[in-house]
Amino acid sequence: MPVNLANNIAGLNLKNPILGASGTFGYGTLYERFYDISVIGGFVTKALSLKPRAGNPAPRICEAPGGMLNAIGLQNIGIDRFVNQKLPKIKDKDLVIIANFFGETVDEYVEVASRLNEVDGVHGLEMNISCPNRNNEGLVFGASCQITEDVVKACRKVTNKPLFVKLSPNVADIAKFAKVCEDSGADGLSVINTLSGMAIDIRSRKPILANVMGGLSGPAIKPVAVRMVWQCYRAVKIPIFGIGGISCVEDVVEFILAGASAVQIGSMNFVEPEICKTLAEELPDLLESLGVSDYRELIGALDV
Amino acid sequence: MDCIVRVNEELGGDFFYLGLEPLEPIADIRPGRFFMVRCSQSADPFLRRPMSVADYKKDGSGFGLVVQTVGWGTSLLSTLVPWDRIDVIGPFGTNFEVPDGARSLWAVAGGSGVAPFLGLIDHAEGDVDHTVFLGARTSELLIYADRLKERGACVITATEDGSSGEHGLVTEPLVKKLDSGEKPDVIFTCGPTPMMRAVARIAEAHGIKCSVSLENRMACGFGACVGCVTKKRGEENYITVCSRGPVFDSFEVEI
Ligand SMILES: Cc1cc2nc3c(=O)[nH]c(=O)nc-3n(C[C@H](O)[C@H](O)[C@H](O)COP(=O)(O)OP(=O)(O)OC[C@H]3O[C@@H](n4cnc5c(N)ncnc54)[C@H](O)[C@@H]3O)c2cc1C
Ligand SMILES: Cc1cc2nc3c(=O)[nH]c(=O)nc-3n(C[C@H](O)[C@H](O)[C@H](O)COP(=O)(O)O)c2cc1C
Ligand code: FES
Repeated sequence: MPVNLANNIAGLNLKNPILGASGTFGYGTLYERFYDISVIGGFVTKALSLKPRAGNPAPRICEAPGGMLNAIGLQNIGIDRFVNQKLPKIKDKDLVIIANFFGETVDEYVEVASRLNEVDGVHGLEMNISCPNRNNEGLVFGASCQITEDVVKACRKVTNKPLFVKLSPNVADIAKFAKVCEDSGADGLSVINTLSGMAIDIRSRKPILANVMGGLSGPAIKPVAVRMVWQCYRAVKIPIFGIGGISCVEDVVEFILAGASAVQIGSMNFVEPEICKTLAEELPDLLESLGVSDYRELIGALDV
Repeated sequence: MDCIVRVNEELGGDFFYLGLEPLEPIADIRPGRFFMVRCSQSADPFLRRPMSVADYKKDGSGFGLVVQTVGWGTSLLSTLVPWDRIDVIGPFGTNFEVPDGARSLWAVAGGSGVAPFLGLIDHAEGDVDHTVFLGARTSELLIYADRLKERGACVITATEDGSSGEHGLVTEPLVKKLDSGEKPDVIFTCGPTPMMRAVARIAEAHGIKCSVSLENRMACGFGACVGCVTKKRGEENYITVCSRGPVFDSFEVEI
């Protein structure tokens, strides 16, 4: 019995629900040394800004129990080099390419969104609202409902491509933010970004990351992410990309049951560079063993 | 790539040697390049650990790692026994490249930093003289001095407690030899960062080409996480050590 893995999610035609997550999949080309990336549903680029950004000093990463901390500082090559140098190498491939983007002001977000809207080969946009706001004492955009509403509405006006908003988990009530994004015109949600964290070297009494604080990712955050996907699923009708600590095909199904229409794989790409391909290959067998012929039957099918 | 553990040999102190046989030969193994090693099949630890290639077979059918136990990942590796399986990916990164026409090469190593020089000297081509400066805290931690001598290298040792060779840091015999008028065509160095920094300064002061092998913390090893960065000298931008290095010309990067 063939199992269906295809789906149209907010206008994106995915051949399977497995995507590489932003900041862990580069600009796509890197994984070509391991496998032909057209076997996966798609991937999300590293966060892009108007101008290239140097990012934070090292150390930027460290091991954490069941995962890792990172403080890359949104280092990226900027939208021009992405469009001129990276995109041409992958845009003819049969997979969905989603551009993750951010700005330091609402105006910058709007400018990047409108530029990306014109780019052939970028199928969808993912707004990273976990970025410090220059006009609000460096607090991240996604920490305030009002600012989230302002920035999503403003970007919505300048793009007709599918627009996903990637929510920060560092809030008290994520469902409220999900609803705000839906009401402001988002086509979908990406849930979740990294959890804010920190680690200390007790001998030197110094923080391990040069940036002091970083984002926690990997299997350690999976229960939090599953819970947040479920809360968002109950709050909105728009589709959700489930993200956070996925490392095996059972995790994929867990997120789908919680309400994810597709999933993104982050840090696990570092450990097993072929993980996205492996998951896409293993999913049909697992679904079959669960007696499911179309994965869409499982979206939000949690039995409570 | 799964490898079969052939040997796990204690080397003294907290050092050990792992001899590995990949299920299929691995191409492009070279001194200075490294593997990302999975220390456990669970998520503890989660990330792979970077380990330099030590000795290796030219056809890629076997290679060794020289490991120092410093934390959880390396202590798990120390418990491997023959016939265990271990999963590695790689090799990644740049290698120590002997410049064309070089006749004399000095290598300065500290701790497990001796690893790449085992393979380098085993597979040396042409008519190159090798001198290896080995430094450690105490004689017990001076590993591979005899083996390097057997392979024809001149080995000069230094220990901080004076228990073997010169008393002091490994840079002292290096400076002495330079002051006596000898001068190599190139210096390679691998080991603790303060040692490499000192070696690079000395080489530059004497106008000698020097290659360093940086050991930044790495999550992926192949350029995807952008976590392992360093600065190019005189530039504001960061570059990834795993893919642009780990072996750099000393004047290229800030050490
Ligand atoms: C390119 C490269 C090649 C390397 N080759 C070798 C080798 O041949 N043999 C060898 O023994 N080690 C080598 N290292 C260092 C080795 O990767 C670390 O010692 C190892 O990751 C520590 O893992 P752990 O889980 O045991 O320690 P952890 O529990 O992660 O850390 C324990 C201690 O080790 C330090 N540490 C962690 N990661 C690194 C790192 N990347 N570099 C230096 N110190 C670190 C931490 O500051 C901490 O104090 C290499 C590193 C790089 C980047
Ligand atoms: C090194 C690193 C860099 C990341 N960079 C970005 C980024 O640029 N933009 C973004 O929206 N998310 C970024 N993320 C977050 C991931 O896309 C993902 O949401 C998070 O890591 C949780 O998934 P995981 O547990 O599978 O890694 C990054 C994560 C890591 C580990
Ligand atoms: S270790 Fe990931 S980019 Fe170098």
